[in-house]
Amino acid sequence: MELIDLSSLPNGEGRFTTFLDQICARFELDHAAYAGTNPIAGTIHGYVNYSDDWKSHYVEHGFHRIDPTLHMASRSIAPVDWRRLERDENFQKVFRNAGDFGISDQGLTIPVRGPFGDIGMLSVTRNCPLPEWDKLKEHIIGELQSVAVHVHDTVMRSDVLSQVLRFPPLSTREKEILQWTAAGKSQQDVGDILGISHRTVEVHLRSAREKLYALTTPQAIGRAIALGLIYPL
Amino acid sequence: MIIVIDALNKHRFGDLLADMYRLRARVFGDRLGWEVEIKDGMEIDQFDRLDPAYVIGLDDEGHVVSCVRALQTTGPHMLSDVFQVILDGEPPLRSARLWESTRFCVDTQRLAGNGNMKAVSLATCELMIGSLEYARRSGISDIVTVIDPVMDRVLKRSDNAPYGYVGSTKPMGKVSAMAALLDCTEERIGRVRAFSGIHGDVFADEDAVRALLDARRAREAGMVPAAVSQVSQDDIMSYCEDQIRAAETPEDRAAALALAQVLARKAQAPRHAGKLH
Repeated sequence: MELIDLSSLPNGEGRFTTFLDQICARFELDHAAYAGTNPIAGTIHGYVNYSDDWKSHYVEHGFHRIDPTLHMASRSIAPVDWRRLERDENFQKVFRNAGDFGISDQGLTIPVRGPFGDIGMLSVTRNCPLPEWDKLKEHIIGELQSVAVHVHDTVMRSDVLSQVLRFPPLSTREKEILQWTAAGKSQQDVGDILGISHRTVEVHLRSAREKLYALTTPQAIGRAIALGLIYPL
Repeated sequence: MIIVIDALNKHRFGDLLADMYRLRARVFGDRLGWEVEIKDGMEIDQFDRLDPAYVIGLDDEGHVVSCVRALQTTGPHMLSDVFQVILDGEPPLRSARLWESTRFCVDTQRLAGNGNMKAVSLATCELMIGSLEYARRSGISDIVTVIDPVMDRVLKRSDNAPYGYVGSTKPMGKVSAMAALLDCTEERIGRVRAFSGIHGDVFADEDAVRALLDARRAREAGMVPAAVSQVSQDDIMSYCEDQIRAAETPEDRAAALALAQVLARKAQAPRHAGKLH
């Protein structure tokens, strides 16, 4: 199943949990959660697809104030396997009874840092034998990184001020590559035309896509045209 | 051996970070002449306060011989804030799967002290392998790295040539700086491993590194672990009895008895027991 671009889902809080469900289905995960802070709007956002029982247990015990899968993991630059947090007494406190709620303490948090001091975390869990978990992780971690930034950027842009501010400018090279791609050239062709390696083309294209909050290149081209960054052909 | 230090484990490795900041001061301040801020012999900048990850190479005794710093390109990083000049005023790349690496350096002074350039090359390759593997495991596909032309040549010579560059080479201090692109593919890691002959796991266990550092510090301080715990209560009692028996004057005997009483009281409070001898 392909992930749906978040901006194409109908507005409203429900779309984020729908997206989390999609992430679980696509990457063979049990649960997913996103938490983020937006210092510009002064807001905190959280979306989970955990059971209501676990949600109320979690909030009742004030776990959001001590949960190291949030507070410690957000300070890492790399995804944090929760095994790294096991020695933390707060980890034990939060997850001691998680099993009763069908929540696994085998998980991973992907920290995201944004340009305005905003931070976000996408956490996912999967209850399975350890070797299987390690294999799954290795397999999905790259795409999960992209998905985490996509969710974070979309949530952070949900207020009016951020929508105006939060548009990372594209470089001349990124626009050039988008323009040639819009003209139907392959990465290899674009590389030959511009005298750079195809991997350099690829890394610029990916950056341009993400700056335009698009998951695919055609989407990115559509948006770039709409914004007047490149010419329609 | 390589260790990764980040916000989650830095409280255990303050000494290692201090050594790293000192190495950076020597390399970037003294040797390359970059405009870096050095305080107490350590080079620390605003990005070190953003909880970056450090990949650090250690020799067998636990001395820092190489280091590099990694930050996400989605948030504040050097190319977006202080190295824009390299990008000719263009905005930087921003991607979930692209990390920026900066302050890549090797302690040539320590490693090549006896003219052994092979050691410098090995340490460089080991750090490259460590940082590429760490990034790869984290789901990162590419790294944009700010380096000087010497490091660029080192990369090319060790079958680890950048596949591209962004912006252009700009003067910076005594040398110049450029932003190079490296992929974190198994192919590239394999090439560096083949070139350097490093085949095993380069990462060291965190606890083992801590133990190694503690052992070295103890050695350097000339400290042998104190044998406090080996003084048993029986030893103390027989020492007191000897003192009482050996007393030649009533004053000596009274003093020996008083000491025995004090020691007996302290022995009952175990947390004071360590101060006994």
